[in-house]
Amino acid sequence: MNDRVENTMIQEARHFETDLAVIGSGLAGFAASTFALNRGIRTAQAGNTGAVAYTTGYLDLLGRVHNEDVCPVTDPWQGLRQLRQSQPLHPMARVSEDDLRAAFREFTSFISDCGIIYNAPGQFNATALTPAGTLKPTLCVPATMQAGVDALARKARCVIVDFKGLRGFSARQVVANLKDTWPELRAERVLFPEMETGEIYPEVMARALEVPAHRQALAERIRAVVGDAEVIGVPAVLGMHNPDLVMAEMMRLLGRPIFEIPTMPPSVPGIRLREMFEQVFPQKGLVLIPQQKVDKVVFNADDLQLSLSDNFGPITIRAKAVILATGRFLSGGLTAAIDGIREPLLGLPVTQTASREDWYHLQYMDKRGHEIHRTGIEVDDKFRPLGENGQPVNDRLFAAGLILAHQDWIRGRCGAGVALASAYKAVEAVQELLR
Amino acid sequence: MNQKENPMSEVTIPTINFKARAMELLPEGASFEACLTCGLCSSGCPASGLENMDPRKFIRMAMLGMDKELSTTPWVWLCTQCKRCQHVCPMNIDISQLVFLARGNWPEEKKPAGIVRSCQLARATDSTSAMGLPPQDFVFVVEDVLAEVQETQPAFKDMVAPMDRAGAYFFVNQNSREPMSEPDEMVPLWKIFHLVGADWTYSSKGWAAENFCMFSGDEAAWYEVVKKRVDAVNALGCKVWLNTECGHSYYTMWNGIQRFGLEANFQLENLVTCYARWIREGKLPVNANWNSTGIKFTVQDPCQIIRKAYGDSLAEDMRFVVRSLVGDENFIDMQPNRSANYCCGGGGGFLQAGMTEHRRAYGKRKFDQIQATGATYVLTPCHNCHSQMEDIGHHYGGNYQVVHFWTLICLSLGILGENERTYLGPDLASLGL
Repeated sequence: MNDRVENTMIQEARHFETDLAVIGSGLAGFAASTFALNRGIRTAQAGNTGAVAYTTGYLDLLGRVHNEDVCPVTDPWQGLRQLRQSQPLHPMARVSEDDLRAAFREFTSFISDCGIIYNAPGQFNATALTPAGTLKPTLCVPATMQAGVDALARKARCVIVDFKGLRGFSARQVVANLKDTWPELRAERVLFPEMETGEIYPEVMARALEVPAHRQALAERIRAVVGDAEVIGVPAVLGMHNPDLVMAEMMRLLGRPIFEIPTMPPSVPGIRLREMFEQVFPQKGLVLIPQQKVDKVVFNADDLQLSLSDNFGPITIRAKAVILATGRFLSGGLTAAIDGIREPLLGLPVTQTASREDWYHLQYMDKRGHEIHRTGIEVDDKFRPLGENGQPVNDRLFAAGLILAHQDWIRGRCGAGVALASAYKAVEAVQELLR
Repeated sequence: MNQKENPMSEVTIPTINFKARAMELLPEGASFEACLTCGLCSSGCPASGLENMDPRKFIRMAMLGMDKELSTTPWVWLCTQCKRCQHVCPMNIDISQLVFLARGNWPEEKKPAGIVRSCQLARATDSTSAMGLPPQDFVFVVEDVLAEVQETQPAFKDMVAPMDRAGAYFFVNQNSREPMSEPDEMVPLWKIFHLVGADWTYSSKGWAAENFCMFSGDEAAWYEVVKKRVDAVNALGCKVWLNTECGHSYYTMWNGIQRFGLEANFQLENLVTCYARWIREGKLPVNANWNSTGIKFTVQDPCQIIRKAYGDSLAEDMRFVVRSLVGDENFIDMQPNRSANYCCGGGGGFLQAGMTEHRRAYGKRKFDQIQATGATYVLTPCHNCHSQMEDIGHHYGGNYQVVHFWTLICLSLGILGENERTYLGPDLASLGL
């Protein structure tokens, strides 16, 4: 597949032949590639750095059915049934409960096998901690965060430890926001070993904790403030490549459970996922061209061709099918201009408000959410993007993830749900097409 | 950098309008204003915090018009221009080109003297050697070392090290460090060429690998050195300029040829690619049988040839070679790796710049990465990586050796001579002798 040409001064295009091309390297793109690999579909993935490095690490299915709902959803599967009734155009409304369960199971089991253990999807949402000390409903959490969910549920005697110089995470803030309902919670601050001055970053701390000597040193400092706490919470810095091992080692050194709370971006759980995928996919035979935006897609009668380039020169990928998982504004899947919102790669029609004035309500925190978040591209039940005429633009073109219209993943707490559901169905349709 | 020690400190650094220059440098449609200030760049940069600066701060200060501060911050000499910030940036913002701009803007007298001197020396002779080794001395050293090997190692009595041989397939460059200070280190590579029957030559002109003119931000000098090398290859009519185990030599040549629009009638290739090809073709029958005690190895991806040039394809070749040499089970990858790997802190002229304390602080992350693997040997096809990793190993009390690929290839083949073992630890110092 990878017929690399010699490196010459005359720039020859590197060319890849494959069955499926995935454009985008956010959660939807990685999920699509995962499902494709598991089905033995030859796959190439390209697309610049997605927003995956900004994630908390939680995989949300559905936290709110309607934006205005006061209470979060406890049983997301029940919530999905309501969603199907009230929002039939929502991308997840096109996917059966069985398929959604299967998608979450397959994805979490894949990443667990690859070294970042996640709990399997259950029947109910967990209540998980945010960096601000607020709570959010989510379906799957990394094993390194599970003890926090449990400690919160039973209001255990717990100390939250933060680090001098680490911005974007304050143990005092977490405690202040939770103290009323969690009286046995307290905050402590320690100096991170060898990072005693200046600004420090979770990424750097996490990598340092991959080294046993640094774990020893940190454990000593935490031990000094742990008091009678049964469980310890820290910002998400427990290792980058071997988080479960780092957590287990810290538990052993401290003699009690320790858990992570997500931090503000750039956050370790997201970087963990990205680096894991970037490492594992090529080992499993996927052609991965990370960090590069696709410039052009040309559809032929029997196949299609992607064009892009990296530092070294031009690259083309010929495939039988393509999944567009380019995300929203941040990732460049959608662009907003003075006269409206566009899908820049293929020029697909974007469902949007009649006027720019309707994009936002006046208040940023408006409980109704903002209409701009529901803009996006239209698809059919096979997740094929639709043209102006309401028909699929091309039988070989599929779409997945947040680029899809009629979902507000922010208020709905359904980002991973939309990504996994649409990627799952799109790959299923690709498999059918390739047959 | 301590400017008080600089006798020319009355010379002032001109102020650049960074925002305006940044806008000129950007490709169409790109924008520094796209920066979300998310901090992935700073979070992933080993130079963050040095001199109270980091990549995010740099870009924000440029956008805020803090030109005087940016024009004079010594941080531009602590950033190795490794481009990891761009690699992890969702907006693909290239901060290193602003650093290059800032470096070039410093008056020669204020730039780190070691980098300037290395560039001057490269321009001083036809060798283009940053250590100033003139052509006739290079020719002498090569002939002298070759004669000794032919005499003392009977298996290599017919080995050659051709000089200025027109029409040879490979034009092989040479890092000056070997002919200058450790000439025996040239021999393992010659043996490899001998074994695979490579059609190769050295050149007395333009033979050197290193090019610190790029790191000094002196574009005209960078051009001059690359031009001399391109002319030398063209003159001999070689098909391939084969880059030795040296990172920035490749990048300065490859990028320079394109940047300056030079006519290069040859291809560029990296030794690692050749090693991999020769192993696959069976011409280099290496194996890991020698590693019976399970010594663990890791590999350092040099920024200049992986992230900044070839990308992951060369990184894969490199791993194929290492695995073949030491055994699958004895290879442990550093994390992160390939294009996402950290710069060791030896690049960008850092080793030559004399800012030792900063360089070692930068290198701490590399040291931790190596420690996390538990490996006792690090392989890398880059001389700057090599020196830096050795230095931080000694400084921070590491228990690992840094070795060239050619050393291990010859070790595996049982042809590594007694004087060619400078970098092996005591556990391997006499293996196979």
